[in-house]
Amino acid sequence: MGKTDRDRTERSHDEQNSTVAIEFRDLVRSFGDIEAVRSVNLKIPHGQICGYLGPNGAGKTTTVKMATGMIAPTSGTALINGIDIVESPIQAKHMIGVVPETGALYESLTPIEYLALVGRLYHLERDAAIEKAGVFLRLFGIGDSSERIMTGFSRGMRQKVLISAALLHNPDILFLDEPLAGLDANTALVLKELLRELASQGKTIFYCSHVLDVVEKICDRVVILNRGEVVADGGVDELKEMTHRASLEDAFTQLTSEGDLDAIVKAFSESVTGKAHGVDNEK
Amino acid sequence: MDLRSARVRQRGRIKIPPMISMLATYAIIGGLLAISLVRTSDPFTFTLLTFSAAMFMTAITVIMEYSSVVVSPNDHGTLAHRPVSSRTYYWAKVANLLFYVACTATALNLPAAIVVGLRFDGGVAVGLLYMIMALLACFAAAALVILLYSTSLRLFDYQRFNTAITYVHSFATFALTFGYVLIPRMLIREDVSISIEKGSWVWFAPPAWYAGGVELSVGLGDSRNLTLALLAVASAVIVIHAALTMISLEYSRSIAELADSSTKATVRKDQKRLRTRFAALGVVFCRNDEERAGFELMQVYMRRDRKLRLRIYPAFGLPLAVYLFGLISGGLNDPLGPRAAEGTFPVRELLGFYCVFMTLFFASAITQSDQWKASWVFFSAPLDNRVGLLVGARKLVIWRYLFPFFCLLLVLLSFAMPVSSAALYLFITFVLSLMAFALLSMASPFMPLSQSIEKTRQARQMGLIMLLGVAMVFLVAISETLRDGRLAGFIAVALLVVLASLSEIALRKRLASRFAQDEFLG
Repeated sequence: MGKTDRDRTERSHDEQNSTVAIEFRDLVRSFGDIEAVRSVNLKIPHGQICGYLGPNGAGKTTTVKMATGMIAPTSGTALINGIDIVESPIQAKHMIGVVPETGALYESLTPIEYLALVGRLYHLERDAAIEKAGVFLRLFGIGDSSERIMTGFSRGMRQKVLISAALLHNPDILFLDEPLAGLDANTALVLKELLRELASQGKTIFYCSHVLDVVEKICDRVVILNRGEVVADGGVDELKEMTHRASLEDAFTQLTSEGDLDAIVKAFSESVTGKAHGVDNEK
Repeated sequence: MDLRSARVRQRGRIKIPPMISMLATYAIIGGLLAISLVRTSDPFTFTLLTFSAAMFMTAITVIMEYSSVVVSPNDHGTLAHRPVSSRTYYWAKVANLLFYVACTATALNLPAAIVVGLRFDGGVAVGLLYMIMALLACFAAAALVILLYSTSLRLFDYQRFNTAITYVHSFATFALTFGYVLIPRMLIREDVSISIEKGSWVWFAPPAWYAGGVELSVGLGDSRNLTLALLAVASAVIVIHAALTMISLEYSRSIAELADSSTKATVRKDQKRLRTRFAALGVVFCRNDEERAGFELMQVYMRRDRKLRLRIYPAFGLPLAVYLFGLISGGLNDPLGPRAAEGTFPVRELLGFYCVFMTLFFASAITQSDQWKASWVFFSAPLDNRVGLLVGARKLVIWRYLFPFFCLLLVLLSFAMPVSSAALYLFITFVLSLMAFALLSMASPFMPLSQSIEKTRQARQMGLIMLLGVAMVFLVAISETLRDGRLAGFIAVALLVVLASLSEIALRKRLASRFAQDEFLG
């Protein structure tokens, strides 16, 4: 995607909504010699659901970590509602809710205890936080497990607790990294509708995912990252038009794939069956 | 279990691999021990004392660092899905553990082996045999702890295994310390340069069996030494064999049941009541939300996290063992009363040392967890005072664990000395413990449960705690000052309190500067 196209897209977004919820300014992060994120520039207005896509290792999670203050950028910065996350992290973090990709939580706690802990960290009144947490857990269908230690929870149950934690303090901006991981179809549907509803109320959602059909359905805008760089930015239809492809999946593949997918599948298949090495696994 | 670590550059510094630093610590401790005993006049006395120390340290290291490796519900994930037999897997685990025991035992005993080779007749041969016997002794000590775990897994109901193993753990530390204190007690009656008389007690003291084996190599091949050596080899073979076979066949099934029981755990009503009560304690002791969050998180983990409990509870066995020994030997004399006779074993000081030593168990354990990746929440939350998280966790340790334990010691000590003397003595020890806790937290400056469990961290810190032996100089000096003149004594106590406050302030500054640069790299 050329600079002119990007500028045009940014201008059109700015026209739609004059206030910017999330802004990345030349965001760079290196780990030793490896540059995980290279000069990412983005402006996401209020009320927008922005899909952030990329192959494994493209730098999506690193971007989220920088934007939420978990790690510091090597250079550049992220602004949350105009507040610099590097300069004023506490002020900025008050406006953010995060669901991380790892799905990690303190499993020896019960969901209620975990959400009470998160409430403490966001300086919420304890009883109010617990009450709200109870409501969230009931709505997600895990109210009966609210006093169970989370060690034996499935990924989906943990994800419900994490989403509840992200929403507990009613943030303006949500950073969701694979939020549907492990969720059953019904809960996934509820979450997708909930995100639309929240966006209609003016909340901004930064949505990282590999599930392209979900992104296609719920996101107003899609940003594609490859090797730490933004390679495409626009609405789903814009991206399809730009790549002359019929689906977002095909557009994504064209923009990020580094080989012939059919050839890779064939080589894999032959390796699994042993034909590639002259070994017949059938024996 | 894997103690390897890449040499990673962190903020421009090269991190020394933990295994190397741990071995260096053991080599230094072993070297100091060998030098301190160089005047002993016969190989039996020398080897008896060095073997006692080596066996004690090996057993404690296995308890503190590797216990969770021996029986781990996490193994279910591997055993359930992969075509590995239970016995093969368990043997591989134990062999892996014994490999690390061999490394630490070599580092610990090599200096003493050199001293034996140079000091006594027999030269290289005696040094070599010393090394073989030392390794055998350390293997036996490690195997004994493994055996204790496997027996517990067999005996106790799976639901109660977590609780049972914690008490087994504490008892093991208690018994080991008690046995360890007995040996130097026998020597310190008189000059260190004399030899220990071999009485009938040698048949009941395992280190003496191995020492008998070493004596064979310096030409003292009498029937008793021969029998002791045979006893040493036979016991080591039996214990190691039992450790390998006790539960190896049913390990897979036992672990599956253990893992299954952990997934069904529900918080009981009494636990909820208790939680509410301690939450109230947090409100009293903590000044802000961050401190309360650290306090409450740690409170729950101390009750429910098996690994954390296993690493912390043995700490209480150490001072209790010394107390029991002091009570039996009459060595717990009044610190404000007349001075004890010259050459009396300093039980009171040893009790103080172990009270300070206890903080080592807490300092690193409260920052480590297998669930450390969940600490992302501390980095993404708008915390004005990240330091408060660790401060809250430390307050929980101090007011929920250390303070009540010192109160228990006050009751116990009041059987041996006037209550006022016991209270004053324990107050000084408590302040010293807080100082040590602050210093050790400076060496482990992380948020609660935010680091992966690094199996060599406590062992490396053991080197630091040895330096805290200096704290005992404070204890003795203050006791002496108090005995000589009350005013001077109270000024000394006041100075100690000031010093402890300063160490707490220094800790908070160190944490603040450290946490300001911290990133979540999970």
